[in-house]
Order: sequence, then C-alpha cells, then structure tokens
Amino acid sequence: MPSISIALVIGSDQEEIYIDANFSGEELLVFGAFYSDPSQSRDSKSDILIEVVGPPEDVALRKKDSYFGFWLNSKSVTFKDVPGFYYLSSTSELTDEFLTNNQIGLLEKKKSEMIDWSLLTTDWGSIINEKEKEEFYNALIRTKQNDSLYKQVSDEIEIIDGNLFRSYIDIPNTVPVGEYTVNLHLIIDNEVSQEYSYNFIVTRVGIEEAIYSFSKNYPFFYGLISLIIAIIIGWSGAEIFRRFRRI
Amino acid sequence: MSIYLPIAELSVNIFLLLSLGGVVGFLSGMFGLGGGFLMTPLLIFIGIPTNVAVATSANQIVASSISGTLGHWRQGLVDFKMGGVLLVGAFFGSILGVWIFSRLVAIGQIDTVISILYFALLTGIGLSMLIESSKVIRDRIRRKSVKRKIHYHNWAHRLPFKVRFYKSKLYISVIPPIIIGFVIGILSATMGIGGAFILIPAMIYFLGMPTSKVIGTSLFQIIFITALVTILHATTTFAVDAVLAFFLILSSVIGAQVGVLAANKLRGEEIRALLAIIVLGVATKIALDLLVEPNEIFNLSVIRLVF
Repeated sequence: MPSISIALVIGSDQEEIYIDANFSGEELLVFGAFYSDPSQSRDSKSDILIEVVGPPEDVALRKKDSYFGFWLNSKSVTFKDVPGFYYLSSTSELTDEFLTNNQIGLLEKKKSEMIDWSLLTTDWGSIINEKEKEEFYNALIRTKQNDSLYKQVSDEIEIIDGNLFRSYIDIPNTVPVGEYTVNLHLIIDNEVSQEYSYNFIVTRVGIEEAIYSFSKNYPFFYGLISLIIAIIIGWSGAEIFRRFRRI
Repeated sequence: MSIYLPIAELSVNIFLLLSLGGVVGFLSGMFGLGGGFLMTPLLIFIGIPTNVAVATSANQIVASSISGTLGHWRQGLVDFKMGGVLLVGAFFGSILGVWIFSRLVAIGQIDTVISILYFALLTGIGLSMLIESSKVIRDRIRRKSVKRKIHYHNWAHRLPFKVRFYKSKLYISVIPPIIIGFVIGILSATMGIGGAFILIPAMIYFLGMPTSKVIGTSLFQIIFITALVTILHATTTFAVDAVLAFFLILSSVIGAQVGVLAANKLRGEEIRALLAIIVLGVATKIALDLLVEPNEIFNLSVIRLVF
C-alpha cells in the first residue's frame, strides 16, 4: 500500500535577503521536483501551491471622506498581526472551497480577530456594521496589492519536464524586514498530499543596518551627526566655490 | 542606479534625487531662498513619506542656510543680536511644532494638514512673486524707478522691554521678534521649511529692519531653527533620513552656487515670474490632490514598533 505516490523535493536559492544600499527589490527563486511513483497511475491531477508569508505587523487603514469638497481622512481602523507580505501562487486556479477547507489564503484569516475596532480614532457618527467591516477588510487587501505586497496568481510557476517546478517571486523594495515563511503544498485531486515549509529572513546589512539602528538607539547623536554633515558640506561648498570664483 | 533609504525604507533613483536637490539648490541660490518650500512637496511627490520629507528637508536647509549666511556675514550684513532674539521665540515654537507634528502623525491627519499648509503657503508665495515681478517688468517698460520706504514706525515701537539693536539701527521691544520667531519655529517644525518667505517680510514690515540686513539675519537664525528642528525630529519622530539628506545637500549646495552665478548673468524678473508659475503649479497639484476624488479612498500606514 504505497501511501505516497508523489514525492516533493524543494530547494531555494537563498535563506536570507539582504537590504543594502543597492537594494531595489529582489527575485526569490523557489524550485523543486515532484516525481511520481511509476507503479501509480499518472491520471491523477497534481498541483503545486507556493505561499510566502511575511512578518506580522499592525497597520492603520484610513478612509477618506469628502468634507466641504475636501477629501480628508476620516475613519481609521487598526488591523492586528497582518502579514507584511503575502504571496500565493499555484499551478492552476484554486477554488475558494479548497482554500477555505485548507485554511490557505488571506481571506481565510478570521477577519473579526484581526480587526481592532477599538482603535477607531475618528467616529463621525455612523454605525459600524458587518458591511463596513467587509469594506475595510477588502480595502486592506486592495491597498496592499497596490503596493505589490500582496499577490495571488496562478501562472507564475513553471513546470519543466513534467517533474520540475520553478518560480521567481518578486520581492519589492518596500518589504518589511523580518522572518518570512515559505509554505509548499503538493495537491493531488484537490487534496493536500504533502506540505513543506522553510523560513528565510529579510534583513538590513552594512551601512543600512548601521544607520537604521544608530537612528533608533542613539537618536540624539544621530541627529547631531546629520547636522554636522550638513554643516561641513554647506560650509565647505561655499568656501570651495568662493576660491574658485576668485581665480 | 538606485539607493535604498534606511529611514524612508524604500529605494529611489540616485539621479532623481541629485537632480531634485540640484534644481531646488539652483533656484535657492538664484533667488536667495532656502528652498524648503519646494523641497518638501517635491519629495512627497516622488513618494517619500511625509514625515521623512519634512524632517529631512529641515536637515538640508541647515546646509544651504550656512552657505548663504557666510556670504552675508563677510559683508557685515548679519544682525546677530536680532537673530538671537528671534531664536528665543523660535526655540519654543519649534518644540511646540514638533509636538503638534507627532500628534498629527498619531491621529493620521498629517498628510492633510501638510497639504493645506503648503497650498496656502505656495499660493501666497506664488501670487506675491508674480504680482511683484510683473510690476517690476511693467515699471521697467515705463522706465520708472521703484521707490521704497526704508524705515517704518508702528506698534512694534510702542511695546515694553525695548532693546537697542545697533546693527539694524533699531530701538524696539523684544516682544514682536520673539512672537515672529515663535510662529516661524512652529511652521519650520511642521512644514520642513526655513520660513524666510514669511520671516523676511515680517522683519521688514513689523520690525522695520533695514532691507540690507534682513536676508543675512534671517539666514543666520534659520540655521539654528532648522538645526533644532532636525534634532527634535530625529529624537521624537525618528524621521530624519541621513542618506536622503546627504544626496540632497550635496546636489543643492552645488546647485545653489551655480544659481548664484546665473543670477548675476540673467535678468531677474522674468525668471522670478517663471519661478512664481512653478510655485503656483505645485500649489495647484496639491489642491487637486485634496479636491479631486481619489482613485483609492483608503490608505494604509504601518504602525511601526520602535525596537
């Protein structure tokens, strides 16, 4: 009785993404192989699903309303522990039913747990109902998508020779730092047959890390050094040009 | 080629930054302005977060106002005593300004308030420049010379705590300069500007300072306001981006010197009218962003945890 008809082997080209001075986004390569047991029939339909989940963050979502012709921020809702980055990719279009059953996908997060209505800073007298919750929730997904931080696709996994798969995942330059999880699922006949997870880290390095942590740990001296740099360049710039003009 | 900005947390094209700094520096050198009133909105237009744009502009103005002050100081055109009195007010004003700023960030209204303030400021600047330059052009055509009154006597001379300012040949109360400094301090901290545009007319019309000493004195005290604002932002809003500031300062200092050279060769009024139109254009863009229904009425901001 072979319980595993198809095995999943995966690899990735890196365990860390470094944010240095030249960082302008990166492509994360996820690749692997799924090979069939020859004794099994190849009729069954197999799919690969790749999920990348970024570190959790709290975000404030604000809605603009028109006041006397001006579009101003009015209602604000805080979402707790939303992924700073989310990517879902599969070899074929997945049904909502499948995603719900397997608790995959952002929409399956428990909305009410994630939304912190207590932090609604400005209440203009309207009633908060389920419809409004839905509106805010959809807006969260949409704004993250517009910033290229959330994505759900079904055409980015390349299958080579029927057994190898490869996918390049766009990591934009605005990604948050922290620990990311890559979840791989092998799906056979709409059932998750195998799962595999691994982590990678997005981290600042070199001068970027030095400046960032200095600004957080020693803000006064950071401000002072910023000032000294401004004074030196301002002063020497004027001096150099003054001499230059005299010649 | 792009560079990652550690505080803004995004990468921008290096040449875009250098040309932005260069152009703003050129205009500031040519017209003797700080340039913060253009720098901040332009940084916001290219996608820099509002708080980083404001805080970093203040840092950049320190450099450009030092360059400017040196020239005026050598010619003895800086009234240090008046600058010092203005700074007393500016000190408290900028502390209040940074506090207001961080409150507005917390309630999510900073972008709107900055937009409205900038719209008002740029419209005022643009219109007054346009009117002034067109007047000069008209007068030149009519071959008329413009006469200006040098000294004004008004209510500022009747308040208590009078002090003698030898350099400006004034004997006035310290209250008006302290109030003016206070207001400029608030504006500098919330908008990332030096405030010369408001300070210079205020010094001429409210304090009655001689025009020749006004620019040097305002530049001198702008160094200290913006220096203070930089430190306050670095320690309270954590929004000063040293990398962004470095590239802006480098290019604006060079741009400013080229601007000074160009100012000697070109006729001022036409260019001044052109700058007025640029300024009004920026104001219009800001107004449209406020008035036209946006494509996306929701906006997201990460509540950063400071580690």
